[in-house]
Amino acid sequence: MQSEKDFTEIYHTHAPKIFRLCLGYAAGDEDLAKEWVQKTFIKVWNHRRSFKGESAIGTWIYRIAMNVCLSDLRKKRKHKPVDERSMQASTEEHEKDDRDQIEKMYQCIDQLTEQNRLLILMELENIPQASIAKTVGLAHGSVRTRLSRIRKALLKCITHEK
Amino acid sequence: MLKPQEILAKAGKQRKGQFLTISILVTTILVLIGYATYIRNTSWNDFTWGLFLMISSLVFRVGLEFLSLYRKESKLISLDNNTYKTYLKKHYRLRLGINYIITPVCFVVYVMGFTRLLPYFEREFSSGFYSYILFSGIISLLVIGGIVIYSVFTEHRFLRHLNKK
Repeated sequence: MQSEKDFTEIYHTHAPKIFRLCLGYAAGDEDLAKEWVQKTFIKVWNHRRSFKGESAIGTWIYRIAMNVCLSDLRKKRKHKPVDERSMQASTEEHEKDDRDQIEKMYQCIDQLTEQNRLLILMELENIPQASIAKTVGLAHGSVRTRLSRIRKALLKCITHEK
Repeated sequence: MLKPQEILAKAGKQRKGQFLTISILVTTILVLIGYATYIRNTSWNDFTWGLFLMISSLVFRVGLEFLSLYRKESKLISLDNNTYKTYLKKHYRLRLGINYIITPVCFVVYVMGFTRLLPYFEREFSSGFYSYILFSGIISLLVIGGIVIYSVFTEHRFLRHLNKK
């Protein structure tokens, strides 16, 4: 990724995913999520020469994004209602039940520890588990086990809160 | 969200700003070393001492800040999230050391330099301008002190937050 054209392509491919990940990390604070996306891609461009291709470019960008979110010194706001338009999930149906379900799910996700939240948010974005493991710094097997536990916990949380 | 071109423009502006700041810092250090070497045996007096103490303490502290930021940035782009979290804990513990020991020392050295210059200012300038220098100097020091205290609190809170995870 040396040219501006490459960067533009990478930005269009990854920015929406990164935004949704950051949004989950920022407990639904859209402005904060946008700011983190911006910071992430400024770093991606400024440090493009340090990317040696040891992992997929996407993995490198997720790492930077998650580290940007982690190192923000500001107090993270408590849960804000999730804007379904940003989440791009079930938007076409526009059914209230679905929206409530999604809202509830993100409220449950918000109750997880920061690392578990990060794992499930990446899983929801269909990011390969190998890439999740490299981003977070866990063994592939541990990621699989943790995700399975998180899914169970989320299911329990969603059905319990109904 | 911003367009890629806007991100690129911001990135370019940020790079230029960093380059400019580092250039100013390096030039100041070179001028300071050159000046100190030049007057070493001839006209070293309280005025030059004061100036030297003020500039060197400031340059040292700003340089340290840049080094710390540079290291943090290089870790951010190269480490996975878990390792980066461990690094951040170490980083903020080190920052506490800097904030509790090095910053106050730099602050005292800066004030020592400033007070050494005051008699010269009093002699050379009108009383009005001298009062202005004195009060603006004190206010600047208070503002800098406030910023340092605020950053100590913020970093302390963040370190506690990291340790809780």
